[in-house]
Amino acid sequence: MFAKLKKKIAEETAVAQRPGGATRIPRSVSKESVASMGADSGDDFASDGSSSREDISSQLFRRNEQIRKLEARLSESLKLAKFHSVNYTIRSLATQKIKEKLEIALEKHQEWSEKMDQLEKEKRFVTAQLQEMKNQSLNLFQRRDEMDELEGFQQQELSKVKHMLLKKEESLGKMEQELEARTRELSHTQEELRTSNRMSSDLSQKLEELQRHYSTLEEQRRDHVIASKTGAENKIIALEQKEQELQALIQQLSIDLQKVTAETQEKEKVITHLQEKVASLEKRLEQNLSGEEHVQELLKEKTVAEQNLEDTRQELLAIRNSQAKAINTLESQVKELEQTLLASEEQLKQSREVAAAQEAHIRELAATNKESSHAQQQALAREKQHMEHAQALEAQIASLERAQASKQATAEQGMRELERENASLKESRNECERALQHHQFELKKLKEEWSQREIVSVAMAQALEEVRKQREEFQQQAANLSAIIDEKEQSLQEKAEVLLQKEQEILQLEQGHNSALLQMHQLQNELEALRSLREEEASAAIEQEDLLRLQGPGQKVTSKAMQDPMYQLPAVGRTPNGEVGHVDLGQLQKEKQDLEQQLAEKNKTIKQMQQRMLELRKTLQKELKIRPDNELFEVREKPGPEMPNLAPSVTNNADLTDAREINFEYLKHVVLKFMSCRESEAFHLIKAVSVLLNFSQEEENMLKETLEYKMSWFGSKPAPKGSIRPSISNPRIPWS
Amino acid sequence: MGGFFSSIFSSLFGTREMRILILGLDGAGKTTILYRLQVGEVVTTIPTIGFNVETVTYKNLKFQVWDLGGQTSIRPYWRCYYSNTDAVIYVVDSCDRDRIGISKSELVAMLEEEELRKAILVVFANKQDMQQAMTPSEMANSLGLPALKDRKWQIFKTSATKGTGLDEAMEWLVETLKSRQ
Repeated sequence: MFAKLKKKIAEETAVAQRPGGATRIPRSVSKESVASMGADSGDDFASDGSSSREDISSQLFRRNEQIRKLEARLSESLKLAKFHSVNYTIRSLATQKIKEKLEIALEKHQEWSEKMDQLEKEKRFVTAQLQEMKNQSLNLFQRRDEMDELEGFQQQELSKVKHMLLKKEESLGKMEQELEARTRELSHTQEELRTSNRMSSDLSQKLEELQRHYSTLEEQRRDHVIASKTGAENKIIALEQKEQELQALIQQLSIDLQKVTAETQEKEKVITHLQEKVASLEKRLEQNLSGEEHVQELLKEKTVAEQNLEDTRQELLAIRNSQAKAINTLESQVKELEQTLLASEEQLKQSREVAAAQEAHIRELAATNKESSHAQQQALAREKQHMEHAQALEAQIASLERAQASKQATAEQGMRELERENASLKESRNECERALQHHQFELKKLKEEWSQREIVSVAMAQALEEVRKQREEFQQQAANLSAIIDEKEQSLQEKAEVLLQKEQEILQLEQGHNSALLQMHQLQNELEALRSLREEEASAAIEQEDLLRLQGPGQKVTSKAMQDPMYQLPAVGRTPNGEVGHVDLGQLQKEKQDLEQQLAEKNKTIKQMQQRMLELRKTLQKELKIRPDNELFEVREKPGPEMPNLAPSVTNNADLTDAREINFEYLKHVVLKFMSCRESEAFHLIKAVSVLLNFSQEEENMLKETLEYKMSWFGSKPAPKGSIRPSISNPRIPWS
Repeated sequence: MGGFFSSIFSSLFGTREMRILILGLDGAGKTTILYRLQVGEVVTTIPTIGFNVETVTYKNLKFQVWDLGGQTSIRPYWRCYYSNTDAVIYVVDSCDRDRIGISKSELVAMLEEEELRKAILVVFANKQDMQQAMTPSEMANSLGLPALKDRKWQIFKTSATKGTGLDEAMEWLVETLKSRQ
């Protein structure tokens, strides 16, 4: 049993040791992963020692398990031992041994377990450390991230705080401005208050004055009213008295009138009585004619009575007049009184109106008085309002100042933060400076490169200078060439001189020709003379035959003379033989023919020379760039066959009037363009069209005028002249 | 009347259109040069039967540029366009050694015209991008340019297809025209 157990233990230990090595690999991988997670933070904590520890701890764990199993088996075995107590005695020895072994094993086991405990502790400690380290590393990463985030946040907040600070400063400035505006308002309102106060005081003063004025005016009015009333009453009384008087007068007058009427009635009665007496008396007279005296007396009486009557009548009339007068005067008086009454009544009315006006005035004054009091009240109300407003403004100012103080505090806090940020920024600036140094280094490198390039550019400049030198050389060459040209010109001049010489030669030749002709004539003359001489000397010639035979070399002389006519004469002069003279004649004729041929040849050569001279002159003029004249044109139009190589056929100024074959394509193209192109371009095409269509000069001019009119903004349309018609009727050159 | 006012206007505005002729033998590249100057591009051209006229603006100077066909049959009509010409651009094919003599005689005959007495001459030694091209000095001698008197002239090596040399030539032309005014 135990042996089996031992084996098992041994096996298990062997198995337990093996996986330790196998487990190492994945652990190390995990370590690496941890290390990769930790980036820079390296392998400080991950070493091989820790891994061995882990192995030990795992081993310990397994051992512990084994020990537990062993213990379990031990307890089982103990149970078995109890069961096998019968065999105990027999197997006591063996069991003792086993017990001893077991004890030893137990001791060992205990030792192992202690070690295990220690190792476990260590393991825990190590695992805890590991965990801590991992946590720390993670924390570190997190903190780094957080740090970065925080930095970002800080920067953001920094910018925010800056922004806020700026805004707050702006708002502060605005608030201060507002404050100033408010204080200004306040002072303004205070001033207004003062002015309103002053106004109110002025108004109260005015009120008082007006009240005083009012009272005085009222007194005045009273007095005036009383006075006017009394005056009016007095007047009324007086008027009434006057009226009474007048009435009395009127009554008296009426009484008088009645009296007068009564008197008149009495008098009329008297008159009537007297008239009756007169009538009775007249009757008595008529009855008593005798008593004349009596009659007379009666007549006298009658006259007296009549006189009396008349007197009384007069008196009556006078009284009547006086009465009428009195009545008139009275009536006028009454009228006057009535007028005065009316006037006084009007005056009364006026005085009443005045009184009414004064009363209205008084009422107005009272109203103004009320108004002024009202204004005073208003002023007081406004004062109160202003005071309230001022208080409110002061409160606002106080609040603004508080707000300002708080903002200043926040601003200061912001400032502190900003200072902190400034420090961080300085750090970053240092980094930047490092970067700058790096950049400067780079700059140096670039400068070096630049200097190299400069060297290259210098080289380029040198090359350029060389090129310039070359150019100068070229210029020199050009100068040399121009010198050569000058030389050529000189040679041309020389050639011209040679030409002149040749001309002179030609002249000489002509002279020579003339002289030859003269010689010919002389010779003919001499020939005739010789013929006559020969006839004369025919006889003498026969005699001299022998002599002639002897003169063998003389013939040679004649042959010479045949070649040169100058020697002919003496030779002929010496020829005595007629035959020989005949032969000589033939020879002479031959010579003459020869001479004539020579003459013709010379003429030919002269002509050739003249032609050559012409050519040379033309080429000379061409070379010398003499202005083209008609002669040259003629030459070019019909170039001579002897100088085809000197001027290849020039076509661009060939005579177009001769060219009957007009290029139809060309004509079409030009006409099409002429009709479609701009006027300024068409103007330049007029000549081409005119040439192509054989326009006359007038037609061409008409075309030009028309186009000028079209092109210009002003001017009048040129009238088509009668002479210029389309030249169909009279074409200058009909072209097939 | 019209001429008077137009002269007043030209003096007021100051920018008279310069009149330039592009001349040369057929196939020298005149039309290509004209459109290279005008639009700055290489256009495919056909032999010019008549002429092309375009307005080219270079350095605030307006040019009325006439490109006249250079075929032998229509070369005689060149002189219809000579009047009031400020400058002549004479285009020569630098590779055409056979016809340089003809080119020279045409140039010489053209320059003898009274109407072109005051015209400035710019010679374009064109097709310089070709390998067998003659050098400008060689061409100047072949064309007899050094013998020219009383004439402002300059030769430029150009390549219309590559666009080289045209700017320098136009620059010189503009400066010369400005200095002449």
